[in-house]
Amino acid sequence: MTSEPTAKTLDPGGDPPKRVPVDPALRRRSRAAVARSYVGDRVVAVVVGLLLIAAGVAVVLLSNGVFGVGRAARPVLDPMIVDWMTANPMAARLIAIASGIVLTVLGLVWAARAVRPEPHPDLPVEAGGDTEIVVLASAIGDAVAEQALGLPGVGKARARVVGTTRAPALRVTLWLADDSHVADVLEALQTRVLAPAKEALGLSALPVAVRLELDNPPPPPRVT
Amino acid sequence: MRVLLRLLAPVLGLALAAAGVLLAIEVIVGWTRPGEATGVLVPWPDWKSALEATTWADPAVLGTGFGIAVVGLLLVLLGLFARRSDITVIAPRADMTVTMSPRVLARLVGQRVRRSDDVASAAVTASKGRITVTATGWGDPDGEVGAALRSSVEGTVAALLDDVPLTRRPRVRVRLAELRGPR
Repeated sequence: MTSEPTAKTLDPGGDPPKRVPVDPALRRRSRAAVARSYVGDRVVAVVVGLLLIAAGVAVVLLSNGVFGVGRAARPVLDPMIVDWMTANPMAARLIAIASGIVLTVLGLVWAARAVRPEPHPDLPVEAGGDTEIVVLASAIGDAVAEQALGLPGVGKARARVVGTTRAPALRVTLWLADDSHVADVLEALQTRVLAPAKEALGLSALPVAVRLELDNPPPPPRVT
Repeated sequence: MRVLLRLLAPVLGLALAAAGVLLAIEVIVGWTRPGEATGVLVPWPDWKSALEATTWADPAVLGTGFGIAVVGLLLVLLGLFARRSDITVIAPRADMTVTMSPRVLARLVGQRVRRSDDVASAAVTASKGRITVTATGWGDPDGEVGAALRSSVEGTVAALLDDVPLTRRPRVRVRLAELRGPR
């Protein structure tokens, strides 16, 4: 993979590390780990919205007689359609039932996707023979969070494994103390928490998304 | 916006599914019991006669069309605006992404600015492209004191932005207000 030793041989007081070229896929994974993606929901909302706009505009135009005054004067449930349905009752029923089933399936799939919790994959660890060792996602998260909590300037920490078993990523949320130096905290997180975690899990790459928050300051003294 | 989308998505999905189930059940029941004059849950014979009596030119139809289009527009806007407004910080490594919310950046700036003895209070708003600081100090904001306060606040914010390197350095705007009364 990429030049891993950088994490260990960093000179703490020196210049910021030079940017090593990193696989764009890793960068994408780390960016995807920032938060759960709502792209699917957003696309569905926009598509359904566009369809509704088109339908509404078509109804308004039809109603105003743009498609011919005679067309606008016909009933909403057109006798032509009613006649066709009475002439072909079987086809009409099948079409209606099929569209009902399609609507049901689409609606249920959409709802299920929307309420499904975000997956936190457990990670397998290299083990000899026919032994299989799996580290639970919650265990990794707790361990990383505890380590991060020990860093200077971090008041509270939380970590989650996100992504898939084959392409995992970490989402770390750090609540920074007032006087912490962001760049130092990030550097310490990389060298003292993330690099050991990656090594312990035997992963060749572990993209990470860090979310910074501010720790609630202690209440000011009541008497000054 | 994101919360609304999050809430709306399952509700709309379930509504769609319910409409589909109703449609299928009504058709099947109407098929198996041809003599029935009314539907199971939906009074479709009444709907049918009502729809046959209204023409497309009816004002109610026009209103419904407008209503549908407006709902569609709201959905499109919801989908477009439910983006994250995260501010990205330059990370020490390329496989690391560091973000903070605009609120956090505003709090960071506010804390630094308020440390100065010349600032009585400060209000900060932050976004990806701009940080606006409204600092309240003593003395005439347009006078010499104001100019000094302005440059000191600008310096503080610039120093903070050096400490917290953002991928896109926002423009900083300082507004001053005067606090009357004893210091």
